[in-house]
Amino acid sequence: MKEILIKSTFKNILRYGWILLLCLPGNIFAQTDSTAADSKEENSLISPALDFVIVQKADNTIDLKAAVKAKIKGTFIKLPLLKISFFQVSDTAEKLLGFVITDQNGKATLNVKNESLLMTKDGSLNFKASFAGNKQMETADGEVAVKKAQLQITPVKEDSLLTVKVKFIAPGAADSAGKDLTIGIFVKRSINPLKIGEGTTDENGEVTIEVPANLPGDDKGNITLLAKIDENETFGNLEASVTQKWGIPVSAKLQEQPRALWSVHPPIWMLVTFIALMVIVWGHFIVIVYELFRLRKEEPHLPNTISNA
Amino acid sequence: MELNTYQQEAFNYQRPNIEKFGKKNMMWSLFFLVWILIGGYALYLQIAKGHIVTGMRDNVVWGLFIVNFIFFIGLSYAGAIIGGVLHLLKVPWGKPIVRLAQMMTLISVIVGPIFILLCVGRFDRLHHLFIYPRIQSPMTWDVMAVVTFFAGAVLFLYMALIKDFAVYRDAKMNIPKWKQKLYKILAIGYRGAASQKRHLIISQNLLAIIMIPLSIIVASILSWIFGMTLRPGWHSTIFGPYFVLGALYSGCGVLIVAMWVYRKMYKLDNYFTNKHFSYLGYGMMVLGAGYGYFTFSEYFTDWFGSAKWDSEVINKLFSFHDYGGWTLFANLAGIVIPILIVSIPATRKPGWIALSAFVMVIALWVKRYLIIVPTLETPALPMQDTRMEFVKYSATWPEWALTIAGIASFLLFFTIISKFVTVVPVSGLEEVNFPHEPHHHHHAADAMKDEIKTA
Repeated sequence: MKEILIKSTFKNILRYGWILLLCLPGNIFAQTDSTAADSKEENSLISPALDFVIVQKADNTIDLKAAVKAKIKGTFIKLPLLKISFFQVSDTAEKLLGFVITDQNGKATLNVKNESLLMTKDGSLNFKASFAGNKQMETADGEVAVKKAQLQITPVKEDSLLTVKVKFIAPGAADSAGKDLTIGIFVKRSINPLKIGEGTTDENGEVTIEVPANLPGDDKGNITLLAKIDENETFGNLEASVTQKWGIPVSAKLQEQPRALWSVHPPIWMLVTFIALMVIVWGHFIVIVYELFRLRKEEPHLPNTISNA
Repeated sequence: MELNTYQQEAFNYQRPNIEKFGKKNMMWSLFFLVWILIGGYALYLQIAKGHIVTGMRDNVVWGLFIVNFIFFIGLSYAGAIIGGVLHLLKVPWGKPIVRLAQMMTLISVIVGPIFILLCVGRFDRLHHLFIYPRIQSPMTWDVMAVVTFFAGAVLFLYMALIKDFAVYRDAKMNIPKWKQKLYKILAIGYRGAASQKRHLIISQNLLAIIMIPLSIIVASILSWIFGMTLRPGWHSTIFGPYFVLGALYSGCGVLIVAMWVYRKMYKLDNYFTNKHFSYLGYGMMVLGAGYGYFTFSEYFTDWFGSAKWDSEVINKLFSFHDYGGWTLFANLAGIVIPILIVSIPATRKPGWIALSAFVMVIALWVKRYLIIVPTLETPALPMQDTRMEFVKYSATWPEWALTIAGIASFLLFFTIISKFVTVVPVSGLEEVNFPHEPHHHHHAADAMKDEIKTA
């Protein structure tokens, strides 16, 4: 009786055990997603922060740059696909310059021509960037006011000495405005510009800074030099660039890696050994299985008269 | 399938074991199943909550799981080498052991790799090992080696069983229909015809020949996962042969224990004789001496060289505040005791040999732990401002539960297989008269002996 009970229990375990097994993956997928926002947060609006800067460039244009991010669950997240409108603010009215949709990094940049811009009475340029808000987000905006100015960059080569002469020009400003400004010289690299020198302007608003002769350039040896003034109280950000054939030519083409332990390509001997071993062993297995097939084929068609009972 | 009298007798003797599962076996199986279920719950926790439920952290990234993996996969390699050698050398007394060795080969190559899967954090990327393999990585070598070895182990056991399947098929046993059908399919029409015999012998010999070097290569590859790194206690030229020998040694121990258990369980004293224990005991003794020599050589060179990090690991291993007690146990129970037990005639008895083998197997498991954990607790970069649990590994209950579940499934497989095939192979079995051995009592009459020949 007891044995029957045990047997039937065992059978039931075998019969229904698979249901338990099937439930397992269900439980795994039922894990909560920790990255999902709480339902609480869905109800309250997100308040984005809008960073707004402008850059006055040497080609008489101005870059209006806006970056939008928001703090969600304690971390800042850059907000893509938002419409940012840029305005010029004069004494009397706001003039829409255009709008840009933010990219994957939450950034939107609008380039405007300097000549078409109106100055306020005190001779400054006022800009505004604004995000109008949507169902999930509140509105956000930022304003910037700067005086008109420009940097001019001139490459100078004397014998083997490479320098750049940078001149600060600010029409309408006092002559002394261009004195003692810190100007950084950068070279463009694939991601961010690399700083290679720095100098302070003299009473004429001029500075000469040396450029190293051994900078890697593109495949023709071109390098792009950049003069920058960052976040000046009166003039904001200023930029000027020039491209010179002063670098060492470096091909952008990826060089083929040698066969080595560390590279993507294994050494030939290793590949050969590996494949040879696998082929030898699996070859044996295949021959063995083939022999078994032949064994089955060669079953004698005789009635089996031998009984071991 | 025709059997001679001795074989027929062996079959008739073991026949009830296949026909009935038996109350005791049922209880055992249920007991193992309970442990497997507990392990299943631990696995569920590990998958649902992640590896945080284990004791593995940033520095000690491997723990019990990899220890179990090396242990079981080592048994598998040992089974293949022992089975292959006994088959190729046509050792007459080895016939009953070959099946045990092959069973061990297959079962442990199933259980072992499960433990390496338990170390994997991202199951969803498991197939990347095959679609983006990096031939230069010992990990890739090991993945390929284990997969290849698994295929070999399946063939190895199956081919040795074909003749027996034919016997079971023709025996008209009192078993369920599905089982009869299964025997029929698995026997693949083997009737003992001359050409069939030839095919079987060719493939068996081929496989035995390939399995021996394959086992040595894959055991070495396993050791290279450690040996190829520059870590103290791992980066050693003797790691390959050391692992091969360690695997063989522990495999020999498990074989002796399995032999003893089956002998008691199914009263197979006539097939697993005292001589079998003595002979495997001698094997164990020789392997133990070799293994002891390697161990000494390994520790001695590291200690004498006194390289900074090597010394640190050696100090941990030999300090009683750290792993000293375990090192002592691993070497005493793992090397000294088995050698003594077998070399002293008074203790050269099945019970003693099996007991020393059992203790030795545990000691070798501990030894694997001592290879893995102390080295990982001694990283070459200093650990500063870190939590104690990151520095010192201690296994958690899910790890222990899964370990016990692994052992339980190993034993459950052994139980189930012994209910499906005879533990002592029937076909090809030969009666062996050991020299200087008082003649065994058989159920068969002495007069029948003349008829007994190899199949």
